[in-house]
Amino acid sequence: MRFVSLRLATCVLATSAMLLIATAPSQAQTRAETLRYVTGASVNTLDPNIPGSTRESFALSMSTYDRLVSFGRKQLNGKWVFDLDTITGELAESYEVSSDGLKLTFHLRKDAKFQDGSPVTAEDVKWSLDRCVTAPILGKAQLLTGSLTSADQFKVVDPLTIEVTLPKPDKLALPNLATVYPMIINSKVAKEHATADDPWATAWLKEHTAGSGAYVVESFKPGEQVIIKRNEDWNRGSPNKPAFFKRVIVQSVPEPATRANLVERGDADLVLDLQASDVQSLEAKGKLKVISTPQYNAITFVSMNNQIPPFDNVNVRRAIAYALPYDDMFKAALFGRGSPLFGATWADGKPANGIYPFQQPVKLDLDKAREYLKAAGLPEGFSTTFSFNVGQASTAEPMAALVKESLGKIGIKVDIQKLPDAQMSTQINEKKLPFYTEGIVAWLPSTDYFYRNFYTGNQRWNYSSINNPDLAAIAQEARFEPDKAKYEEAGRKLNAMHFDLMPQIMLWQPNQDAVMAPSIEGYTYEFHRQVDYRDVSRK
Amino acid sequence: MTTGLGATMVRAGRRLLSSLPALFGVLVFTFLLMRVLPGDPAVFFASGPNAGKEEIELIRKQMGLDKSVPEQLVFYLSDIGHGNLGRSMMTGQPVLKDLRERLPASLELTFTALLIALIAAVPLGVIAALRPGSAVDHGVRLFCALGVCVPTFVSGLLLIYVFYYLLGLAPDPTGRIDVFTSLPPQRTGFLSIDFLLAGDVEGWWAACKQLILPAVSMALFVIAPLARITRASMLVSLGSDFVRTARSVGLSWRKVVVTYALRNAILPVITIAGIVFSTMLGANVLVEKVFSWPGVASYALDALLSSDYAPVQGFVLLMASLFVLVNLVVDICYGIADPRVSIE
Repeated sequence: MRFVSLRLATCVLATSAMLLIATAPSQAQTRAETLRYVTGASVNTLDPNIPGSTRESFALSMSTYDRLVSFGRKQLNGKWVFDLDTITGELAESYEVSSDGLKLTFHLRKDAKFQDGSPVTAEDVKWSLDRCVTAPILGKAQLLTGSLTSADQFKVVDPLTIEVTLPKPDKLALPNLATVYPMIINSKVAKEHATADDPWATAWLKEHTAGSGAYVVESFKPGEQVIIKRNEDWNRGSPNKPAFFKRVIVQSVPEPATRANLVERGDADLVLDLQASDVQSLEAKGKLKVISTPQYNAITFVSMNNQIPPFDNVNVRRAIAYALPYDDMFKAALFGRGSPLFGATWADGKPANGIYPFQQPVKLDLDKAREYLKAAGLPEGFSTTFSFNVGQASTAEPMAALVKESLGKIGIKVDIQKLPDAQMSTQINEKKLPFYTEGIVAWLPSTDYFYRNFYTGNQRWNYSSINNPDLAAIAQEARFEPDKAKYEEAGRKLNAMHFDLMPQIMLWQPNQDAVMAPSIEGYTYEFHRQVDYRDVSRK
Repeated sequence: MTTGLGATMVRAGRRLLSSLPALFGVLVFTFLLMRVLPGDPAVFFASGPNAGKEEIELIRKQMGLDKSVPEQLVFYLSDIGHGNLGRSMMTGQPVLKDLRERLPASLELTFTALLIALIAAVPLGVIAALRPGSAVDHGVRLFCALGVCVPTFVSGLLLIYVFYYLLGLAPDPTGRIDVFTSLPPQRTGFLSIDFLLAGDVEGWWAACKQLILPAVSMALFVIAPLARITRASMLVSLGSDFVRTARSVGLSWRKVVVTYALRNAILPVITIAGIVFSTMLGANVLVEKVFSWPGVASYALDALLSSDYAPVQGFVLLMASLFVLVNLVVDICYGIADPRVSIE
C-alpha cells in the first residue's frame, strides 16, 4: 500500500515537472509581450461615461475605444507629457477648422474598422457624439466646457465626413473631443442593446465594449483585474503597426508596499501610485526606471471658505498664507517630489506671466502673519478646524500636523479633522468646511478654464467659495478671446487678483511617479493621469 | 445513534427558525445605520472633473436616495425578498454577484487558516497541559503571546518580505492565483478544489502556494485562543476522576490522553473555533488587503469608506447568516463530540 502511494506521488511529481519544463519557454515569451500594470484602484465600468467611474476606467477606455482626435505629446524637462496644443487625428484622417472658428470638419479614415469588422462611419460618430451630449452621462458636463451641448451641432455630410458647428469660436471644442468621454461607439451594435428606458445602451456598454480601439477586452473582473488583448487591425498610433504589447493585465493590488515589492522583483512592469517614501528608496537603488512628472494639470491647495468668518476677512487669509511652513510641509508630505507653488519673487510686485497655476510670492514669515492678524482685528488669534480626507492621509496627515504647529505660534488654535472620503466631499459640496486641504485636476488646463471652474459660482469645485464678480467677468471674457496677447493680459490680471484676494493657497503640483521595469519605454504623462497602454513598449 | 442524530437535527432546525427574527433585525439596523452615517455617496461618486449638481442628482436617483428613508426601506426589503441585494457603485455590479464571487475566496482562506491553526494549536495546547509549568509550557505561552501581539497585517507584510521579496520562495502576493495561470472551470468556487476536479495538478499547486502565506498569517493570530483553551480544558480533563481511573487500570498513554482526556476536553475548543471562524471571516480584511485577496471583507471595507450602501448591507446580512450557520454547525459538532448534549 505504502509502495503504491509512493509510486503515485513520484508519478505526479514527474508529470508536473515535465509540464513545467514544457510550458516554461512559451510562458517566458508571452511574458515579454505582456504588460502587467498594478494599481491601488480598479476599473469599475467599461464605459467611462457612467457616473461613478474610476480613473482606471478612463485609462482603459482610451485603449478600447478611439476618439476623433487625440493629443500629441511633447517633452517637458526631458519627460514626455501630453500636449494640449497639438491635436492629431485618431479616427479622423484630417480635420479643418473654418476661419471664423465656428465649424470643424472631420474626414474619417477609410480603413478604420470596429472590433467586429464593420467600418467606422460618420453615422457612428454622430450617434456617439449625440449620446455624449444627450444621455444622462458624464460626457455631458465635459463637452459643455467646449460649447458642445446639442445633437444639432453634429451633422453627417457623407459616410466619411462629419461636421461640428459651434455657437462661438470656443478654443476648447476641439481638445474636448480628444478627452475620455466622446469615444466613438459602434452604433449598430449599441442600438441592438438599447431599450425604451435606456435608448443609449448605457447599461449594456457598462459591461461590454463596442469600439474600434487598440485593445479588446478579454476578461473583466470589476475590482480585481482586467485583461485586454491587442487588436491586430488597429493602426491609429503608427501606420501599419498595432500597439506594442500583445496583452495588458491591469491588476488591483490595494497595498502600496506590495505594489512596490512586485515592481522591484520584476513581477509587475509598471506602477503609478506608490508611496513617496517607496519611490525614493526604489530610485536610490537604481534598479528600476523612475519617471517623475510634475502633474502640471493638478494642484494641491490649502483652502479657506471665504464666506465663513473669520476667513471672510482677507487679512486673515493673508495671515494664514504667511504662517504656513511651506518647505517643511513640502518635504514631509511629498519628500519634495513635485513643483512648489510658493516662494516666488516678483521683482516688480506683478505676476511674471498669465499662466495658471503659478508660483505665488508667499513664504513662512510669522511677523508678517501677526501683522495681518492684527489688521484683521484678531491679534489674539482664533480657533478653527483643519480637515483632510482619509484617502489622502499619507500626504495630508504630516502636513496637517505642521499646519497646526505653525499656526499655533500666531495664536490660531487648529483642531485636525480626518474625514472619510464620502463625508469630506459631502461637506465640501455643502460648503461647511472652514479650512481644509484638497486637490484639483483639469483635463484641459488653460488659465480661463481654471478660473471659471475653480473660482466662480456656488458649486462644489469652487473650494474657497469666492464670489468676486470682477474675477468671474475677466475669466468669462478670456474664454472666447482669440488674441493671444490679450488673453495673456487677462491671465496676468487674474493671477494678480488671486494673490491679492488670497482665496485659497496653492501649495504645489505633486509629481506623478511612474516606476517601471528598465525595459519599459515610451511612458507619457497623460491628461487623465493614468497610463495610456498604447504609449508603452518593451525594448 | 439515529435518534441521537435526529434529535440534533430537530434542535438545529429549531435554532435556525429562532434566528430569523435576529436576521431581520440586523437587516433593518444596518439599513438605518448606513443612512445615519454622515457622507453623501452621491457626491462622492460624482467626482469626475466636471461633475456638478446634475450628476449628483442623477446618481442619487440611481441609488434610490431621492426617496424618503421609510420608502427606501420598503423598497429594500421587497428587493431582498426577491433575492436582489442592490447594485454596488464601486464595482458597478449587482452586490449578489460580487458576494457570490468573493465569498468562496474568503471562505477558502478562512477554512485553510482555521485548519492550520487547529493543527498547530491543539497539539500545542495538549503538550502544554501535559507538562504545566515546564519550559515547553512557557515556550507555547510565549509563542501564543507573540502571535496575538503581532497584528495580522504586520505578520503578513513580514512573511511577504521574507518569503517573497528576500527568498523568492512564495509567488507574488496578488490574489488567489498567478495572473498567467488559466483558471479551472468554476464548480465550487474554491480554487484548490476546482483545480483538483479539473485534474490540473500544476494549477492546484499554484493556488495552494498563493494560499499558504495569507492563511499562515491569519492562523498565527488565532492559534493563541485555541491553544490556550485547549490547554485549560485539557488540564481540567487530565485532573478528573476518569483519567485517574484510566491511568490506574494501566491503559496506554495514548489511549488516556487522546481517547479519554482530549475527547472530553474538545467541546470548549469547538465552541471557540466556531467563534474564531466567524470573527476571522469578517476581520481578515487586513490580510485580504495585504495579499490583494479578492474577499468579502476588503470589499465591504472599500464600500464603507465610500458610503456605498448596498454592498455594506449585503455584507452584514451575509455575515449574520453565516454566523447563524456556523452556530448550527457547532451545535451539530457538539452532538457528535458529546452525545449527552443532544438530550434536552
